[in-house]
Amino acid sequence: MLDARAALRLVLGFLAAVGIWLAFSFPYERALASGAESLLRLFEHPSVTRLEAARGEFRVDRRDFPPGSARPGLPAADLHFNFVMLGALFALAPRPARGANVARFLIASAALSIVHVLALIFQIESVYARELGDWSAAHYGAFARNFWAAGFHFYQIAGRFAAPFALWWALGREPARTDREERAGRLRRGRRRSRRD
Amino acid sequence: MPETDARPARRQSLLFLARFGGLLVGFYFLVASRPVNDAVIVPFTAGIASVSGEVLRGVQEEVTVRGTEIRSGAFAVNIENGCNGVETALLFGSAVLAFPADWRRRLLGLLAGFAAIQALNLVRVVSLFLIGLHRPALFNSSHTVIWQSVVVLFGVFLFLVWAARQQRRRGKAAGRSSEPGS
Repeated sequence: MLDARAALRLVLGFLAAVGIWLAFSFPYERALASGAESLLRLFEHPSVTRLEAARGEFRVDRRDFPPGSARPGLPAADLHFNFVMLGALFALAPRPARGANVARFLIASAALSIVHVLALIFQIESVYARELGDWSAAHYGAFARNFWAAGFHFYQIAGRFAAPFALWWALGREPARTDREERAGRLRRGRRRSRRD
Repeated sequence: MPETDARPARRQSLLFLARFGGLLVGFYFLVASRPVNDAVIVPFTAGIASVSGEVLRGVQEEVTVRGTEIRSGAFAVNIENGCNGVETALLFGSAVLAFPADWRRRLLGLLAGFAAIQALNLVRVVSLFLIGLHRPALFNSSHTVIWQSVVVLFGVFLFLVWAARQQRRRGKAAGRSSEPGS
């Protein structure tokens, strides 16, 4: 039921999720960099991309970049702060710490990590396709440029907010009850209480 | 819940997600297209900057507004897509339109939700400008993690409140129609 207590759980869940996110951001970014690098290299010929999580950003390196050139740095927090929203939404459950809710939250978090890896791949490909001047023009056609750029732009504008909501809706949400179900629930609770007394 | 009851609920839930995803992608392409961006989104964002500038002048800050940029002597922000509340409105609008309800209630929900989201977004822009001006070290985390999440969670919460009301209304209507003599 959505009431003041649910709003309070949402706020507390948000604060707890911010704490967890701050504590684990850096190791998580290293894991994301490693996952995205492995996937990118799987489809590269030759495999040249190297990703490094520096504090607050993903540094993109390629073996074929000229030695003195600048390496693109991509802001990391923008990519994965939506974990905070997922945590807050799962805290909406009447008993957020119940085993089943925690298990569903962990499954949703794992699914969100996959989204993060894919978003990072889109972001890197978008940099390769659009921001490396002649090299980009030589290696990416118009369709590929639009595909990677639009994919990452969609994540920035809508996807990063929709992903936690959709995962919570599919895995964590308790459907709102009708008045009749509410009354039946209250009646059952009343009967149980009077039996105990 | 017996499996027979759970199946239609699961199906409805998945249908909602499919509709929501389709609408979100459609709205994204609409607002990302150059003509809509230039004719609607940029002037709308400039309107937000203008109103925020008025509020900031109301709290004794000397600011100038040019287009989507708010500037004072020591600090400036440019309001971009992602900071104009449109992304939350897209999410909210897609969810409201994907949820089964009659069109009048959807329209009322959309209007009230959009106004509430924009009111909170105004607080966000003004407070972020003040944070950037007076506590610049806190600006990045406040901008990315705190305020973006707060505005989107607010939009989701508004949708859930609206959806719960629609569901209760449907439950009442179903109860009336199943009463003897109805």
